[in-house]
Amino acid sequence: MSAVWTVTRATLRRRKAQALVIGLVLTISSATVALAAGLLVASSAPFEHAFAQQNGAHLTVNFDGTKVTDTELAATAQNPAVTAAAGPYAEAALNFSTPDMPELSAALHLVVVGRATPDGAVDRLTLDDGRWANGPGEIVVDGPLALGTTLNAPGLAPLTVVGHATSVTESANAWVTPEQMAALHPTGTEMLYRLRDAATSDQVSAGLRATTSGLPGDAVLGSQSYLAVRDSVQGRLTAFVPFLVAFGVLGLVVGIMIVINVVSGAVVSGFRHIGVLRGLGFTTTQVVAIYLLMISVPAVIGSVVGTIAGGALSAPLLTSAFASLGGTVTTPPWIEFVTVVGMPAIVGVAAIVPALRTRRVSTVEALSAGSAPRRGRVSTVQRRLSGTRLRRSVSLGLGLPFVRPGRSLLTMASVVLGVTAVTFAIGLTSSLTRFQAADPQHHVEGTQVTVVAGVDGRPPASGRTDEQIESLLRSLPHTRQVITEGSIALNTVGDTRRVILDAFRGPPSLLGYQIVQGRWYTSPQEVVISSRFLHEHQMKLGDSAVLAANGEQRRVVVVGEVMTGGADEIYGDWATLRALTPATAVPVDAYHVFLVDGTDIAAYVNEAHALDPDLRRGYTPSTGSFNAIVIGFAALFTLLLSVVTALGVFNTVILDTRERRRDLGMLKSIGMTPGQVTTMMVTSMAALGFLGGLLGVPLGIVTHRLVMPLVSQAGHIDVPPSLMDVWGVPTLALPALAGTAIAALGAFLPARRAAYLSIAEVLHGE
Amino acid sequence: MTSDSTDAAATPAVVVQLTDVRKEYGDSVALDNVSLRIRAGEAVAVMGPSGSGKSTLLNMVAGLDRPVSGSVVVHGEDLGALSERGLALFRRRRIGMIFQFFNLLDDLPALDNVALAAQLTGVPAAQARRRAAELFDELGIADRADNYPAVLSGGERQRVAVARALMNRPTILLADEPTGALDSRAGEQVMDLLLDLNQIGQTLLLVTHDQRLAERCASRVVEFADGRIVGERDMESVR
Repeated sequence: MSAVWTVTRATLRRRKAQALVIGLVLTISSATVALAAGLLVASSAPFEHAFAQQNGAHLTVNFDGTKVTDTELAATAQNPAVTAAAGPYAEAALNFSTPDMPELSAALHLVVVGRATPDGAVDRLTLDDGRWANGPGEIVVDGPLALGTTLNAPGLAPLTVVGHATSVTESANAWVTPEQMAALHPTGTEMLYRLRDAATSDQVSAGLRATTSGLPGDAVLGSQSYLAVRDSVQGRLTAFVPFLVAFGVLGLVVGIMIVINVVSGAVVSGFRHIGVLRGLGFTTTQVVAIYLLMISVPAVIGSVVGTIAGGALSAPLLTSAFASLGGTVTTPPWIEFVTVVGMPAIVGVAAIVPALRTRRVSTVEALSAGSAPRRGRVSTVQRRLSGTRLRRSVSLGLGLPFVRPGRSLLTMASVVLGVTAVTFAIGLTSSLTRFQAADPQHHVEGTQVTVVAGVDGRPPASGRTDEQIESLLRSLPHTRQVITEGSIALNTVGDTRRVILDAFRGPPSLLGYQIVQGRWYTSPQEVVISSRFLHEHQMKLGDSAVLAANGEQRRVVVVGEVMTGGADEIYGDWATLRALTPATAVPVDAYHVFLVDGTDIAAYVNEAHALDPDLRRGYTPSTGSFNAIVIGFAALFTLLLSVVTALGVFNTVILDTRERRRDLGMLKSIGMTPGQVTTMMVTSMAALGFLGGLLGVPLGIVTHRLVMPLVSQAGHIDVPPSLMDVWGVPTLALPALAGTAIAALGAFLPARRAAYLSIAEVLHGE
Repeated sequence: MTSDSTDAAATPAVVVQLTDVRKEYGDSVALDNVSLRIRAGEAVAVMGPSGSGKSTLLNMVAGLDRPVSGSVVVHGEDLGALSERGLALFRRRRIGMIFQFFNLLDDLPALDNVALAAQLTGVPAAQARRRAAELFDELGIADRADNYPAVLSGGERQRVAVARALMNRPTILLADEPTGALDSRAGEQVMDLLLDLNQIGQTLLLVTHDQRLAERCASRVVEFADGRIVGERDMESVR
């Protein structure tokens, strides 16, 4: 065994705590870096990855089964424009209800397709949970229905959910066996195609013309290009990217800075040891090799463990983030390779710079190192502090960071970034929570309940009109206000796209929509539009449009923009809806009932149900998955960055303690208590943490201000100032104190260790 | 009864009492059932070869180390019964320590190094500095008060260390090779200083290799070898 390796092993054994810190820092940093890089890469083109994995359909065409036979449809697969095809599959659009979830009422509209297996040449479905339907009475769904849920549709036998599956091209949202499909009275037939040329909309349109050219003109009921699905999915997923980039960059920078701090500190604190080695006859190259080896062993172990952990963490996170695409999302192996190689490489660079410095230091100088540096600017600071009214242990601690200003700056910088991450995470969470609260779909205030009437879209069996139902609800005790909501699909003259008019009878301002600009409508000639509608139709306040439905037309002016709502949604007065709808067919979606504070909502709904059995509580969607995922990521990154920052502080205190052991011994000899030693060491880091907090909070706010608009722009949503102004005393105090807390926590253990340092040998062994 | 009272008045109180003190470091025995008494006003020099247990004895008296058996009682306080905090408070009140290599904080001027000892007990900075300045006057280094340790001579540094040790008016002054790192002239000055302190009633426990220091300053010399007391000399009778 070479002398270099012998000494390296001995040094590692002697510096177990430092080796452990290096290993832990590298583990967490590598995990953070691998996770961040994986998320960045996976979120760059998630649809394309899933589309390739599942051999998605470029073109989904729905045919009228009465106009074309299955044999004719099967023959379309032979068209030269087609490279692969699947189908024909019988399909039906059905409205289901379920006794397991009565609150769903008529909300469950599913497009059901008959397929023998989830596999095939095109549109290979991912079976996420349960199993494929293989007999009568079984159904596989793409949605939140639990396995075992029973689904009822009028006139049909009940179906039981046996599995969950996903189609990347959204070819259907439920599947049964072909035999079962026959019993569901199919209304159409679906064909799925992969085309030779499908890069552009024109090419996909050409593919549609080619595949349907030999069929009757009215056989095609509808078609869907994968490009439209991709745009829709990308629109949802690209909102992830800005915040992933922000956290990814923060994770990378903090991880690397802590590694540099820890590693260079390990070398600098070993100067005296280096002097001894050179005194023994080791060449400078051998000394550099010893230190590189000493640091590389725990660094490599930490990097490997961290990279594996980061990969293991990223797989379930990515899968949940991109659940709408189906299947398991994995990161490419090169990320793990780059992390495992790159992190130790950074360690090597961080170590070699101070290690090479030792070449210029004489053996005598190196031997005389190991105690606190001689007087300099620190003296002035300490002198000023000694004259203050602060407790001496506190004032001594406040002066300590000036002893090693470079190390202190690096430590503080990592605290700054840690606090920035915490601040950003708090801001992001607050904004998303407010966004969610501003979305009437998630409006779950204790005094409001949404009531629906009828089942499967039919009017109530009692024959009550919407006015009568509204009166009935108003007559109940505890009702303060009722707003009736109805909607119809219509066209705007000059635009082929369909539009949904959501109309309210009652004051819409109560419903919680967040007005971004303008105001609510005050007459039937005015409408309010969603942010996404405004952007996708390139409209502005004051623009007018002509709404057309059922042979009626009404000109309306846009007077306001609300933050939430789909790209096809506009909001108008009930009179506008009535003008565009035959009097007998006013489509009521829901009754929003505002109750007296403290009302038992369940009892209220039961009371309404007793008066009219068709009145039920409306379906309240669960917390938005996007928000839950973003908040989950934010929490995870914040935790990782806080831990790695605390480890950096931990390491700094270990090094400070080692370098100042003689001073600590002297202070204890003149009566400094263990509590005072702990206070002094913790204060030294808490001061850095406090400063880090002061600097990190504004940086976090700036990051929040930069990233939130990017997230909202990616989702085509305008963000009102109320979503950005989330900062108050508690939300600012928390991250500001987080810096102090992270630093104090990181410092506490080594400070306690220093407090009980055996000083007898230190003082007499110089 | 009267006679006993008269004797008690005439005989200074015992300030340090070690009884069967044993200390081991692994397989090595540093102190082997050592018993020793030091009375108020005494100047006791502990001498012996390196590794004989001299410094360990000093650590025991200062409460910097604990015996594996036996008891150490200083000014009526059984150190074995004290917690780490209790020992720290004990050192503040009762002990002043002087080291061979001074152990001054390089970051602080000489005066602040000395004032620090009082400030740790809660004395306000201004008051601590006034007391430190008085000591600097008494020790003849008033003109060096604002200097940092790095620019002081060895003798001056040791005087600063003595001033720091005296800051809280300790019961006993412990000195570990106080002249070991000094040239002969500076050593002489420190010897004079210690002698003066003892003559005004300061109890001293010195650990030294320096025969001349022991002869000049000590009223009693305790000889150590292999962790045991192997001899005692009353220097008053020699003089």
